[in-house]
Amino acid sequence: MNTQFIGERLFPGQLGNAFVLLAFVSALLSCIAYLYASKEPSELDAVSLSWKKLGRLSFRVHSLSVAGIVGTLFYMLYGHLFEYEYVWHHSNASMPMRYILSCFWEGQEGSFLLWTFWHVVIGNILIKTGKTWEAPVMTIVSSVQVFLVSMLLGVYIFDYKIGSNPFTVLLRQHPDFGGIPLFQNPNYLAKLDGRGLNPLLQNYWMTIHPPTLFLGFALTLVPFAYAIAGLWKKKPDAWQKPALPWAFLGVMVLGTGILMGGAWAYEALSFGGFWAWDPVENSSLVPWLTLVGSAHVMLIHKHKGQSLFTTFFLTFITFILVLYSTFLTRSGILGTTSVHAFTDLGMSGQLLLYLFFYMILAITLLVMNRKLLKRTGEEEALWSREFWIFLGSLVLLISSFHIMFNTSLPVWNKLFGLKMAPATNAIEFYNSWQVPFAILISLLISTGQFLKYKNSDIRLVAKKLILPFGAAILLTAGIALFMNLDQIFYIALLGSSLFCICANADYFIRVLGGKPKNAGASVAHIGFGLILLGVLLSTSKKEFISVNNTVANLEGIDKGLSNSRNILLQVGDTLQMGDYFVTYKGKQKTGINIFFEIEYYRKQADGKLKYDFTLRPLVQVNAQMGNVAEPDTRHFIQKDIYTHVTYANLEIRDEAAQNGNEYTEPVNHVMAVGDTIAASNSLLILEGFNTSVNKKKYNLRDSDIAIEAVFKVFDAKKNTYTANPLYVISRNQVEPVEYVAPESGLKLNFWKINPETSKIEITLSEKKSAKRDFIVMEAIVFPCINLLWTGCMIMIIGTALAIVQRLRRS
Amino acid sequence: MAPGHLSQKKCKAMKKIQIIGILVIAIAIGAILASLSSSSTYADFAEAKAHPGSEFHVVGKLDKNKATVYDPQADANIFTFFMVDNGGTEKKVILHKGKPQDFEHSEQIVIIGKCKGEDFHASDILMKCPSKYNDGKPMESNAK
Repeated sequence: MNTQFIGERLFPGQLGNAFVLLAFVSALLSCIAYLYASKEPSELDAVSLSWKKLGRLSFRVHSLSVAGIVGTLFYMLYGHLFEYEYVWHHSNASMPMRYILSCFWEGQEGSFLLWTFWHVVIGNILIKTGKTWEAPVMTIVSSVQVFLVSMLLGVYIFDYKIGSNPFTVLLRQHPDFGGIPLFQNPNYLAKLDGRGLNPLLQNYWMTIHPPTLFLGFALTLVPFAYAIAGLWKKKPDAWQKPALPWAFLGVMVLGTGILMGGAWAYEALSFGGFWAWDPVENSSLVPWLTLVGSAHVMLIHKHKGQSLFTTFFLTFITFILVLYSTFLTRSGILGTTSVHAFTDLGMSGQLLLYLFFYMILAITLLVMNRKLLKRTGEEEALWSREFWIFLGSLVLLISSFHIMFNTSLPVWNKLFGLKMAPATNAIEFYNSWQVPFAILISLLISTGQFLKYKNSDIRLVAKKLILPFGAAILLTAGIALFMNLDQIFYIALLGSSLFCICANADYFIRVLGGKPKNAGASVAHIGFGLILLGVLLSTSKKEFISVNNTVANLEGIDKGLSNSRNILLQVGDTLQMGDYFVTYKGKQKTGINIFFEIEYYRKQADGKLKYDFTLRPLVQVNAQMGNVAEPDTRHFIQKDIYTHVTYANLEIRDEAAQNGNEYTEPVNHVMAVGDTIAASNSLLILEGFNTSVNKKKYNLRDSDIAIEAVFKVFDAKKNTYTANPLYVISRNQVEPVEYVAPESGLKLNFWKINPETSKIEITLSEKKSAKRDFIVMEAIVFPCINLLWTGCMIMIIGTALAIVQRLRRS
Repeated sequence: MAPGHLSQKKCKAMKKIQIIGILVIAIAIGAILASLSSSSTYADFAEAKAHPGSEFHVVGKLDKNKATVYDPQADANIFTFFMVDNGGTEKKVILHKGKPQDFEHSEQIVIIGKCKGEDFHASDILMKCPSKYNDGKPMESNAK
């Protein structure tokens, strides 16, 4: 029973597990110490100081332990320690080392670890910069760490498993695999390779998207912790100043992370776009929207203390939504509604506990301090900047509510026992609501900066806005005409996003004199306008150029079924797609990837085709996890051409088979005069029959009956010839004479005549080498998509400028 | 400033925030109603057959004993297979799209579409492939 396994390295696991325990205990200790430090009325009190010291020390130990966990896990992945289930599950020996980062966070444990790690980094900065806020804020931060590290504990309390620990689960002890004969061999490790990384994640975006996104999630903790501390310490206003730069940093980083996910989807996934309103995408977008709202109301708060409740609400809801999103994506509840599938590690209960703990904490504090939040005094004036920013935040809140309500359909189903499924055309459904919200937001952004705090003279503001408004109207008319935009909501969004760009550019140039020092907001808003513009033009005018016009129109069957976006392309064929002529040149295998070479040509004035570019979409062959197709995209300044192989024969034929003489199984065709047979490289039309056959030529007797079928054949090389298979009755026996066309590799056999229906039967077989390789592909043109990426860059730069501006001022 | 004037102004201000509040609630309710009305329904084949015109999401498994037909040379946008729904009913499914990658490996499929006569016409398909995320058993290999 006690097999001695050879070569197992159990020490790293024990070390890692020790780090996990230490990280948990030190986070708990840090939380308690900081809690006691905050309880003292004065931060300078000796008792408070000593508690604070203990809190800091514990957080330092916690930081080192988390670093230890991360280091140990990397060591195990790097050294291919497949005796550990996590390492076996997420990596293998042949995988390129650059994807080791992706292996690290592919699993749920790794991604919680990543999140924990960012909190450690942020916590250490907060210790340095927190001053009087350090103790209460760090109490919250360490309490979150207690929850997060508990996800890694992997211990059982009674029958309930707490957390999943990558260091203690050995592959041979894993409940699913324990009985496998391989593990009866003491030397099983010598024969074991990892399962490998999901091929979809073997992409450079996937090495930077998750850490950025998780840093964004981690940053939402800071305003949340400050807001809790503000209510707790009865300072409902003062917390906003130190929290504000963190909120905008969160806006920047989380926004970047979401867009990187979009870029990954666009480059590596095959749904043909960068955003599909998938639940997983939505659940990272929604906290971003509320974070933008919360950061903006913090901005106006110092000018007018009115929207205090809104500030607290948006700050709290952002963090709660981050937790809720984690629950949605990690608990498996999304089930069939999402293409992203994360494994449920049975930690939904823990995630829910985590979610409810902070939700109840926030609500309780709000209710207990409701008197603090009541402000008497005047409402904001209609024409004041703060009122418009407040309105904008409300629009963002409703927009995120709409997205979240829909994304949560599986939750409503579970709660109320319903059977609702997502809208059939999800993208259209979301757009119909989100486009009007985007129009409102961009209008508010356009005018907001021109309004003064407190109140402004509306006539003066209108005067200033005439120039950018006029420019936007002209541009809108021009672009709508040029791009053939006809939907009223799209034209309105076009106009409002152009107005947003023009007005903010105008403010930057005329009011700020083009100096970047105070221009953070204007620049970020120009970027936002460009993003809206890019999204609008590239999605509403996205064009499937691989439209299959030859097959029966499916709209006849049903309007919703007109998905004729795939087109068949045989080796050597050239088909027109949009402005291009497209040829499939063949395929090549390089490593695990099969590349399909697709050449794009353009027609010149003289009618000749001129080579333009080659795209090489690929299929990654992965026997264990299934093949994955990756599109290829040609980028131009004004548009992208996206090409994706949706179906292909993956076997690479060798030379011998290509020149071989094997024929396919004959296929029978029942035909009348005028009917056509489509062979893979030719077209055969039955033109008629010839009864006066030259019998001598075929060595037939005079008594034999012979009828010749006359086929006109058009082959792929544009040759035309006649094929005459012969039907012979000799001594009451049918003895057909086969017709062989060596050029096109066809064999025809005329073997039956049905006098009643005047139809004949013919079998056709083709030389196997004549059957040409083909692919089924999809090609899409995305116009103006570069506006989107440029807008992202500009928005990131603008937000960074604004943060630097804030930090410099304080 | 006369006290009457002040209270009048306050009253006006209250109105503004109230109007906004009502608007926000109205839009939120609208959003909920719109979501509910445009949502489709999970159903089995029997229910889909009983309502031939309406769209359903049907969850089930591929019948691996029956042939799947994809002849891109005839039509690259038609793929036919047989699916057994969770209630055990089997139906021929005509998917109006190309054949999805790795279709044979799917563990669970969700088809979105309508019943027409005896067949189910699907406009879209979602698949869960067990191999991608959690399947695969430790195997002997020479890679190491």
